[in-house]
Amino acid sequence: MTERQKDLFQKFAALASLLGLVAIFSFTSSAFFSVGNGMTVALQVTSIAYLGIAATCVIITGGIDLSVGAILALAGVVAAMLVKAGAPVPLGMFAGLLVGGLCGLINGLCVTVLKLPPFIATLGMMLVARGVALQLTDARAISGLGESFAELGNGSLFRIVKIGADGFPDVVFVGIPYPVVLMVVLALAVSILLNRATLGRHLYAIGSNLEAARLSGVNVNGVTLFAYVLSGLLAGLTGCVLMSRLVTAQPSEGLMYELDAIAAAVIGGTSLTGGVGTVSGTVIGAFVIGILRNGLNMSGVSAFTQQILIGVVILLAVWIDQMRHRK
Amino acid sequence: MLSSVSDSARPGVPSPTEAGVLLRLEGITKRFPGVLALDGVSFEVRAGEVHAVCGENGAGKSTLMKVISGQYQPDAGGLYYRGEVCRFQSTSDSEAAGIAIIHQELNLVPHLTVAENIYLAREPRKGWLIDRAALHRQARQCLDRLGLDIAPNALVKTLSVAQQQMVEIAKALSLNAQVLIMDEPTSSLTGSETEKLFAIIHELKRTGVGIVYISHRLDELALIVDRVTVLRDGRYVSTENLADTSVEKIVAKMVGRSLDDVFPKRTSVPTADVLLRVQGLTRQGVFHDVNFELRRGEILGFAGLMGAGRTEVARAIFGADPIDAGEVFLAGQRLTIHSPRDAVRQGLAYLSEDRKHDGLALKMNVAQNITLAHMEAVSNRAGMIRFDKEQDAARHYIGALDIRTPGSSQVVRLLSGGNQQKLVISKWLFRESRVLFFDEPTRGIDVGAKYAIYQLLDQLAGQGIGVVMISSELPEIMGMTDRVAVFHEGRLVTIRPTRETHQEEVMHYASGRSVPAAS
Repeated sequence: MTERQKDLFQKFAALASLLGLVAIFSFTSSAFFSVGNGMTVALQVTSIAYLGIAATCVIITGGIDLSVGAILALAGVVAAMLVKAGAPVPLGMFAGLLVGGLCGLINGLCVTVLKLPPFIATLGMMLVARGVALQLTDARAISGLGESFAELGNGSLFRIVKIGADGFPDVVFVGIPYPVVLMVVLALAVSILLNRATLGRHLYAIGSNLEAARLSGVNVNGVTLFAYVLSGLLAGLTGCVLMSRLVTAQPSEGLMYELDAIAAAVIGGTSLTGGVGTVSGTVIGAFVIGILRNGLNMSGVSAFTQQILIGVVILLAVWIDQMRHRK
Repeated sequence: MLSSVSDSARPGVPSPTEAGVLLRLEGITKRFPGVLALDGVSFEVRAGEVHAVCGENGAGKSTLMKVISGQYQPDAGGLYYRGEVCRFQSTSDSEAAGIAIIHQELNLVPHLTVAENIYLAREPRKGWLIDRAALHRQARQCLDRLGLDIAPNALVKTLSVAQQQMVEIAKALSLNAQVLIMDEPTSSLTGSETEKLFAIIHELKRTGVGIVYISHRLDELALIVDRVTVLRDGRYVSTENLADTSVEKIVAKMVGRSLDDVFPKRTSVPTADVLLRVQGLTRQGVFHDVNFELRRGEILGFAGLMGAGRTEVARAIFGADPIDAGEVFLAGQRLTIHSPRDAVRQGLAYLSEDRKHDGLALKMNVAQNITLAHMEAVSNRAGMIRFDKEQDAARHYIGALDIRTPGSSQVVRLLSGGNQQKLVISKWLFRESRVLFFDEPTRGIDVGAKYAIYQLLDQLAGQGIGVVMISSELPEIMGMTDRVAVFHEGRLVTIRPTRETHQEEVMHYASGRSVPAAS
């Protein structure tokens, strides 16, 4: 097989297992296969997908970002506090985004200037960001944020509602939730960045061979910094969307999300040694995790069993990937 | 120089008898998906002989060695060790039988001591604990047997590459190896270290060990080898006593045709205008007050022993390492270079001696590697890649440099050494570089591909590019350069027109034996 065929095979295998999951759950639960539940799954997957896309960019450079779960909490909390203090919602959320970007910038500087291993740099940020979020809020949730704060997470595009004959509203189409729209836009944008932009090419080059990239004149520090800032920004975005969906800002939100994000990337074929990975693969990976959770829930499988199954799926996915790369 | 091989008598070396065959392989065939790596190859090793296996990259040498050591199982054919049929399932099987392999990439654990490495996974024990006294005593004995002055409790990472290699040999002997396979053992050794290694090989021969010797440096064969087996394209070509053949004949068999000359005729003539001028370049403790000029269209050789500072000077000019003093002028203009990025922009290029480690992005494809240093040329103003332009560039260089690849989307890792080297050159040509620093341009490359690389260097000089060729192979320096700069311990000792000097004189300067009194 040529590399291209192998790539397609890998994509197809991941996609096929995704469709297999859908087929199985459609049997085990009558409510699973419906437009409504489809949108629910898509909505639930968005957080993993945003963070997974961010993780893909960082892992392609040969790095890792463990701090996204904590950054999303801090960003969401900052946004909510500003809104609570009277700031307009867009301004508050923009501030949340900036906080995420700033955390990412610090991560990137630790990696490029201080030359800390990415694992350590982002582990430190994970603790710091979570600590700041808890400190700011005294570990209490911020609620009563108002309807406009909830719009981003709960609104939908193309929602069609008719007033029925009985005078009650009748939902014809549930609409596409904004977070899902955002996910599609984000996936397309980052996909274009990775495949078509010189910046994306440089991300792959750094992960494939850092020294070769440096000696070829690639701005290694600048490009690496970009990956971490992007990761921070996307974590900030995830924080805003998630808190908006819940209409509550929880400083303890997003615990272990970084691991879901890394798992999604890895299931989608991203190599932890760098230089390999695609957005489409990661999105498929995110859906595998999301559909597993949703389907198992609807089939009445306990949360503990779900963890076990998802763990096994990750091991299987990486094992298959390794088999593919052996010789 | 090489033809003297055939008539060199080697008294004192017992000629191996027909009897005493330690290892015999018959009709070994090994198939990989789409490739017939070995096709009915036969081979034998006698006690007390050094048996060289020669062939170009991809001829099947390493596959054959992996079959012997049990890493691969042959699809057909038989392996007989001391007259008995063997089927090794893993390297531990072959080691247990007495066959040890020393890989080109050394397999030692850097953070453990010499003794711990020699007895790794078979440490002498007292109950549950390691018997450290016995460990050191036994390791000491192993090292003494080889006459090595290495402390058993030294950490392996503190040893030189040559010393590490000796430790590997000591380890193999501690396994009571009767057959020792050495893969490119001298590729990273200096001249005197190589002599030391050869002395040990002679000693091993005397004790009846059979040695399989793989090397690209054919001129070494005369010094130690008894018989030579040549492989080509996975097929057995011949086995001969070295005394009955010559290096030229071996090379002709390896490539399947005769090579009239090792080096192509230089067609280009250097111009008079100075392209690059380096003044007083100094990096404390590494090199000191280096001055030289490179002319347009010139090939300037950097000769010297390993560690003389040649690579370091090139890397410093290229901005990959910092400097403490000195100036660099390109076409009369003073350059300020703080990083390789600045250097690349100014039209400098550095082709590393280690392609895999810092020359190529191995997971990326041919086209992506060619354009990596010059993405601006294949992208629009918004930073989006124009794939049509990229493909054009890739197709052009694949054709112009005769890069053997199934296509421009082939992953670079799968190409041969010569083709990888051509790819690195393509990258810098596409960048329109004006000065090329070429570090060990033919290391690990087939004889046939070497010629192509030399021709390419000549062509580049003809186009007005200035080439600095750093090489540890003096024949290459003498054969290809216009002038040669000789380095010794961080100083540029002398620059001589190549035509007016000879190999011995260059060696003389390089070993520091006639450094001018005041410098």
